[in-house]
Amino acid sequence: MTVSTKSVKSRRGFRLAAFFAVMGPGILAGLSDDDPAGITTYSVLGANYGYRMLWVLVASTIALVLFQDLGARIGVVTRQGLIGLIRQKYGARSGVLSASTLIVANVGTMTAEFAGIAAGGQIFGFSKYITVPFAAILVTSLVIRGSFGRVQGVFFLLSAVFLAYVIAGFMAHPNWGKAFTGTIVPSMPITHDAILIATATLGTTLAPWGLTFIQSYAVDKRLTRDDLRLLRVDVWIGSILTGVIGFFVVVTAAATLNAHHIKIIDASDAAAALQPFAGRLAKEIFAIGLIGAALLAASILPLSTAYAASDLMGRPAAVDDKLREAPLFYGTFAAVTVLGAGLVLIPGAPLVTILILTQVLNAILLLPLLLYMFGIARDRRIMGEYVSARPILAVYLTFIVIVTLAIAAMLWYSFR
Amino acid sequence: MEVTRIPAINPVAKRLDRRREYALARKQVRESLVSVAGLIGRPVRDQAGRDIGRLVDILVRHGETTYPPVSGLIVKVGPRSSFINGAQIATLTQDEIRLSSSKINLEEFIRRDGESLLDADVIDHQIVDVDGMRVVRSSDLYLAQLDRAFRVVGVDVSFVSFLRRIFPGAIRRRPTPDRVLDWAAVASLADGEGSVRTADSRSVLGQMRPADLADLIEDLHGREQEALIDLLEPEVAADALEEMEPQELLGLMRGLTAQKAAGLLTHMEPDESAEVLRDLREGHRESVLAAMSDENAQQLRELVEFDEKLAGGIMTTRMVIVHESQTVAQALTSLVEQSDRGATDGVVVVDDAGLLLDHVQVLELVAADPNAPMSEVIGPPWPTSVHLDTPFGVVIEEFTNNRGSSIVVVDEENKPVGHILADDLVDALIAGTERRWPWQTGGSAS
Repeated sequence: MTVSTKSVKSRRGFRLAAFFAVMGPGILAGLSDDDPAGITTYSVLGANYGYRMLWVLVASTIALVLFQDLGARIGVVTRQGLIGLIRQKYGARSGVLSASTLIVANVGTMTAEFAGIAAGGQIFGFSKYITVPFAAILVTSLVIRGSFGRVQGVFFLLSAVFLAYVIAGFMAHPNWGKAFTGTIVPSMPITHDAILIATATLGTTLAPWGLTFIQSYAVDKRLTRDDLRLLRVDVWIGSILTGVIGFFVVVTAAATLNAHHIKIIDASDAAAALQPFAGRLAKEIFAIGLIGAALLAASILPLSTAYAASDLMGRPAAVDDKLREAPLFYGTFAAVTVLGAGLVLIPGAPLVTILILTQVLNAILLLPLLLYMFGIARDRRIMGEYVSARPILAVYLTFIVIVTLAIAAMLWYSFR
Repeated sequence: MEVTRIPAINPVAKRLDRRREYALARKQVRESLVSVAGLIGRPVRDQAGRDIGRLVDILVRHGETTYPPVSGLIVKVGPRSSFINGAQIATLTQDEIRLSSSKINLEEFIRRDGESLLDADVIDHQIVDVDGMRVVRSSDLYLAQLDRAFRVVGVDVSFVSFLRRIFPGAIRRRPTPDRVLDWAAVASLADGEGSVRTADSRSVLGQMRPADLADLIEDLHGREQEALIDLLEPEVAADALEEMEPQELLGLMRGLTAQKAAGLLTHMEPDESAEVLRDLREGHRESVLAAMSDENAQQLRELVEFDEKLAGGIMTTRMVIVHESQTVAQALTSLVEQSDRGATDGVVVVDDAGLLLDHVQVLELVAADPNAPMSEVIGPPWPTSVHLDTPFGVVIEEFTNNRGSSIVVVDEENKPVGHILADDLVDALIAGTERRWPWQTGGSAS
């Protein structure tokens, strides 16, 4: 009898270790959605509408949990990236279209990440001509030289920076009661701006590159069906953390900027505007959060692009591959990084236009990606015994309809 | 029996030896090829030229000949898809398919083993280029009339052909056979039930070096990866698996069913198998062991228990043991018989109780009188032996002190249970020094 108690005990200890071995895809794909564009959106949401639209964040988080979970599962079951599967199931046209849109949108988003690094650096008095190239070189050499384990370790370290927002949130002394009400009671003014920012919140949380990343990363990490339950835990933790951090950013902005009726344009404005109300330290903590978030996203984005390009062409794609084994993979990675950094550094480049077009592109791309994932999820030949059941398919479809309506509303208001 | 092979004109092999592709640039070759991707959606007509429907997919039958013949068509007639037997095809060109009669039998399509749908199962799926030893996605397939049947003769893997397919109309249909692999040199792994195998590709795969095969297996994913392993003889597969990166191998084993994993592990070197088992989750490990024969499972269970940092965890259990009363000739015979089971540099001599007497090098055996009993051959230099739980660092020390080529590992009673060869040590050292940055030199051998 003593044997059995011993084995139960050791198994419990083993579980945590097993989780640490599986964790990654959900947490990284989730947290990298809280990039500078995300922080900007959350700050504007809080600055303009206070606490009342926090519920949008809750809805976005639920959508994130649903589709990241699906993406991770598809990756583990098929051991292929999303773009490769789209080529396989929906043909050449769909594959090329989604891959090329994703690549263009990712270059645009990469520009946003480097703009975030530049803005964060300027708060500490560093020129963008130093911070941006430094960040680009850092990110590229990490992924090219590092083994999978080391790269993931650095990603986890970067993720810790997100704690900065939680600290900044507490330093802003928000009204917790109002924040709680705003989180669970949906209400919003039916205005052009409010609908736009609600859609932007959904769009920045559920990003196309996050969806392709989580699937390819789960493949690259060589997770298997045995790991699916632990992977689900990882996805839930990652998605909820993403929402919680968004919550603290909104709350910080609501407690300071909204209370004093200050309008902001981007996240570094939000950081600078914090100083008079929450102190210089709060500003700097917020800026550190911004830089860390940008660095994490600036590593994940080119990785997501490189997976997609290799997947489309059927070429090897793994962080553990050597430069010579996977030229397309690393070439795409470097090209996206250089292009993104270059666009930020070129004097007079139309950054604002690039960022807006990127958002539109991401929104347009999101819908077909979700539909493809839906199609793959119900395909028994691809998913085998892991094919999704009707009730969960209905839930996916409901969210796809909501996303469609939100995107349609956004496009309508943007181009009217 | 043979159909003629597609001539390999102007092989571009010189660029890189890994990239052997056949350029079928010659005009007449190009004109006789029909692009499958371009054919999909074209009209299927009866003898009189009346439209019956549009082509949805093409069914081929594998196994009998190198180049699989078209065995049927899936045609969209009105709102539904029907099956038309391949025997009814009269002509097949890039623009249309003509059937041989005006009375067409439309049947319901049922998937059968040994058949695959070219568009649904092969195009855009991963395939193994056996000559080039790599995994690629197929962009298109080419049919040609060989031996009075339409057969799949080549796989196009070029990016140009892939891009061609996104265009509408005639551009999409025109074959662009620039980088085409001979179907005989390809292992297409995507099929409904099992794997599609051509006799040729199978034998070529069997002749590949285990290390090259290991690279191929590492490049594949999921179902295709399993299919390739199914395609190999168990011994060949096991040899290849031993050459895989430990992490890749572990990932592969985790994805396999317990039966399959057990089958492969029993063909591998026990110490390599034990290493894999050690890293599997407890539940999974137990089900894999349960799927083995009791004897194998027992042996592996013992090995798994050993710490990787101790002699018992590094050693190889496969060695040649002879009794002191056997002759030199007998010892040599058993050495030769077991030479395929891993490197052996000599025989271990034991007494009646099975206790270690000596380790005799191959050279000593060759030099000795074949009819002499082993008891006469044993003598200095005495072998280096270590105990099962000797730490790794001490093993290395023993190795460097004695410069012997192997060390015998013994249990508490001095019975030989395994030996440590130089390559086992190298493996163990590498495992401890996964470093990539230039300033991180070496590892600690503590």
